[in-house]
Amino acid sequence: MNREQKISVLILTLGLLGIAGYWFITTSTPKEEKKAIPERVLLPNHDAGIYRNLPEVKAYIDDIHEHLNRGEAVLALDSNELDSAGIVVQKLLLKDQDFLKDTVSFDGQLQHNDMMTIRPAIISAMSEKTQVICQKVTCYQAEKYNFVSNATTRAIVDVKNQKVLEINRFADMQPDVSLRLTHIAQAIALNAPEVKAELGGKKPAFKDMSMANVRGGLHDSPCDNANHLCVAPTFSYHDREEALWAIIDLTDLKLAAAKWAGLGKTSTPSCISERSLQNRHIMENFCQKDTLHEEDGWKFAYRITGSDGLEVVNASFQGKDIIKSMKIVDWHVSYKAKEGASGLDTSSDNYVAGRRIEYIKGDNDEFFFGYNDAMGCPMFSTSVVLPFNAPRIKPLIKAGKKVGFYLIQDYRNPKWPMACNYRYENRFEFYRDGAFRIVGVNKGRGCGKNALYRPVMRIDMALSNQEELFKFDGAWQQWLTEQSDFQKDAKVYDQDKYLYKIAKKGSDEGYYIEPNRGQFGDKSRGDNATLFATKYKEGEGEQDLLTLGSCCKLSEDGVERYLDKHERIDGENIVLWYVPRIRNDAREGHEYCWADTVLEDGDLKVKIWPCAVGPKFVPIQRGQ
Amino acid sequence: MRRYFPIFLALLVLSLGFYAVHSLKKDQQRVSSNSIGNFELRKTCAIQPLFLSKLKIPQPIAVDLSQDRYRGVAFLFGQNLSQAVHPKSWMRFDHFSSYILDPEGNMYLTPMPYISVNPNTFNLQKSIYKLDSNSGKLSVWMSINEVKAGSNNPFGIIAIDYDCDDNTLWVSAIDETDYSTQRGVIYHIDIKSKKILQRVEGIDALSLKLLQSDQGKYLLVGSARESLLYAFYIDGGMLSSTPQKLLALPDANEHIRKIMLRGKNHLELQTIPFSYTLIAQTVEQGIRTNYNAYFDIRLNSWKLSVKK
Repeated sequence: MNREQKISVLILTLGLLGIAGYWFITTSTPKEEKKAIPERVLLPNHDAGIYRNLPEVKAYIDDIHEHLNRGEAVLALDSNELDSAGIVVQKLLLKDQDFLKDTVSFDGQLQHNDMMTIRPAIISAMSEKTQVICQKVTCYQAEKYNFVSNATTRAIVDVKNQKVLEINRFADMQPDVSLRLTHIAQAIALNAPEVKAELGGKKPAFKDMSMANVRGGLHDSPCDNANHLCVAPTFSYHDREEALWAIIDLTDLKLAAAKWAGLGKTSTPSCISERSLQNRHIMENFCQKDTLHEEDGWKFAYRITGSDGLEVVNASFQGKDIIKSMKIVDWHVSYKAKEGASGLDTSSDNYVAGRRIEYIKGDNDEFFFGYNDAMGCPMFSTSVVLPFNAPRIKPLIKAGKKVGFYLIQDYRNPKWPMACNYRYENRFEFYRDGAFRIVGVNKGRGCGKNALYRPVMRIDMALSNQEELFKFDGAWQQWLTEQSDFQKDAKVYDQDKYLYKIAKKGSDEGYYIEPNRGQFGDKSRGDNATLFATKYKEGEGEQDLLTLGSCCKLSEDGVERYLDKHERIDGENIVLWYVPRIRNDAREGHEYCWADTVLEDGDLKVKIWPCAVGPKFVPIQRGQ
Repeated sequence: MRRYFPIFLALLVLSLGFYAVHSLKKDQQRVSSNSIGNFELRKTCAIQPLFLSKLKIPQPIAVDLSQDRYRGVAFLFGQNLSQAVHPKSWMRFDHFSSYILDPEGNMYLTPMPYISVNPNTFNLQKSIYKLDSNSGKLSVWMSINEVKAGSNNPFGIIAIDYDCDDNTLWVSAIDETDYSTQRGVIYHIDIKSKKILQRVEGIDALSLKLLQSDQGKYLLVGSARESLLYAFYIDGGMLSSTPQKLLALPDANEHIRKIMLRGKNHLELQTIPFSYTLIAQTVEQGIRTNYNAYFDIRLNSWKLSVKK
């Protein structure tokens, strides 16, 4: 190696070292981000009733009732939450007509209010005029919250002269909560069975809890239901770098949701919301995968579909295959207008509450209008009625005895029970004797009276690939081809119960179909259904169906498209479509498929008059 | 001279090595920073459709894609914008999500599924639509056949921006995304040839906005998946592979639907809740929030406040 070559090797070596130094030394090494701990969401399994007997909650509810009975709408702050000036201010405000102006409804009923805080006034809460006054005298600010109207009232008071300087009202806003409500939130969080279960059955310790009064400030709520007052006590476990957030709804006095999250800033969201927690829980556990259930001899899987509601799949009873798939694919909603068809402008679309309305002209200037509601997953779907809470399984009790169990999923428009918002339940009952029932429950409220609801139920039995369907008209008559039947027209039922039966070809192994005529003890006014029987074909409802057919053409249910060829179904895999017709009723004392919001005991209460429809399937051997 | 060749070669290798390392480092720094430099309002190259002048429609004119009163696109004018230009033929492609105008006054629109889907809804989501500046005729300008909206994700092509520098479109589609994986695509399309110049996968862009700063050219992206604003550096007309994370919104449920340039280092961001379903965008009233986002170059940070 000559001299120049040695120099060049030296230059290259030193240069490469220099470049390496430039890369490693001058590049600031970003701190390694902590691995985000995956968040886990819990939804409550219990109703608010289980918290009613907690001493803090019971005393609070009793106090509200006592106040209302005395004609007082505002629950005052305890003196231990106030200094001497605060006591004076509270006394003054509880007599001030202007401050109390929004505590009575338009029809004279008292609305539940809580005084939340009374403390020295801060400058940003005052008008310029008040600021000038308060530079010279001591001023306090008081905030009260109206649980009915979800509004906050703030007053600024000149303590020395006992004069109310200004009053401001903030619609749809919630203030910081009182110490009393903080204690109530803590009590609910400490006693929530869901929280306890998450901590391995151990009651959570008070010392691990913090932030029971924490809200996002006056303008933001940690609870997504913006009409409710919510706080989020948090149980921190620093050794595991995890925290359990319990979202407490102080309007309903219950646990709204809970979530495990990492303690690091990177994995704790700035704002948690009940709705988004629910959405994620439902997506991860019921939309992304099937859930298996086994009870009383039944074994099946269930899942929430994109637009066909809750679906039960591959159900067997005592080891025998019974159901391949069972779901409610759609709710047709139509309203009747007695006149005006001739003046209808249908040249462009019309919308109500975001839905495109379809119009069908009838006779005598009548017309029908409405839409199709799809129920499905809360994310990545075409549904407009979203699942609330996860599917639940509860015992079926008849005469005090467990006779089976049912699987239920609640779907609601976010603003139910306001007008033009809907609530449906998909319910599947499974009996110990092998019977089952598919039930559609409507809880109103819709856009008004004169509504006709038609849930479209699809039942694909798994008795055999060779099945037979019969209708009873005094004797059992087999349907050889695809057809439909209007159950309301039936004059006679086998054993006064059964109108149809489906069985394995050439055997009695199968099920009677018992339409609901109000005999199931759920105050139903009957199904008045149409039954369709079609030959199983791919692309005819096995996968998610978009809305099926017209909402408002009463001569069609949407399923007709699948039987236009009238193919043979004798000895084929038969799919049953069952479409009940329910007319709602808003008349006082006769309400049906209806919901209303009323002021009761100072708080808003939702009253529901549900209507339930759907046939029961009874094993042929047991039904005889 | 020949004997010095190894020394020259060593110096050359070192120079190239240093340049490569320096460039790489600069890229890395840019990606890890939340700064895109100083930027200002620039005069747009877009003009209004010429048919509006021919129809003698008086100013001011507003473009209405809200779907409240009109399906498709409508031009509102007159006192309190109470009158509208909205021929029936503009309804045939259903609803639109966003639009941009080019220097000739042509309008390019992206589709949107809207509450009640019909059998044709999903098929409409794969196209970019053009409203001709002179004739006012609305037609499918270009379809991207790989975009396939469906019942599990009804959205397809969604956001759009026009590049005045090279007569190209930046367009995003989010149809491929599911709950577990983000598979959105940003397309860079040459208007003249309708050729896709670049295709960047892996980000769901609910909104797009081109921006020129003293550090270079960027494509701002409002994420459909996260409550974040990203910036892609554009080098020689091509997007960098990794975006910079500029800022996060305070509410995890909000997503940036519209990005507007308002002044020096000042953006206005309009947000909506978005969950890849058809409900949140239309049923909830008052769901939009507008934020002012200012970049403080001295503190190297973004300041976010709700616009009243």
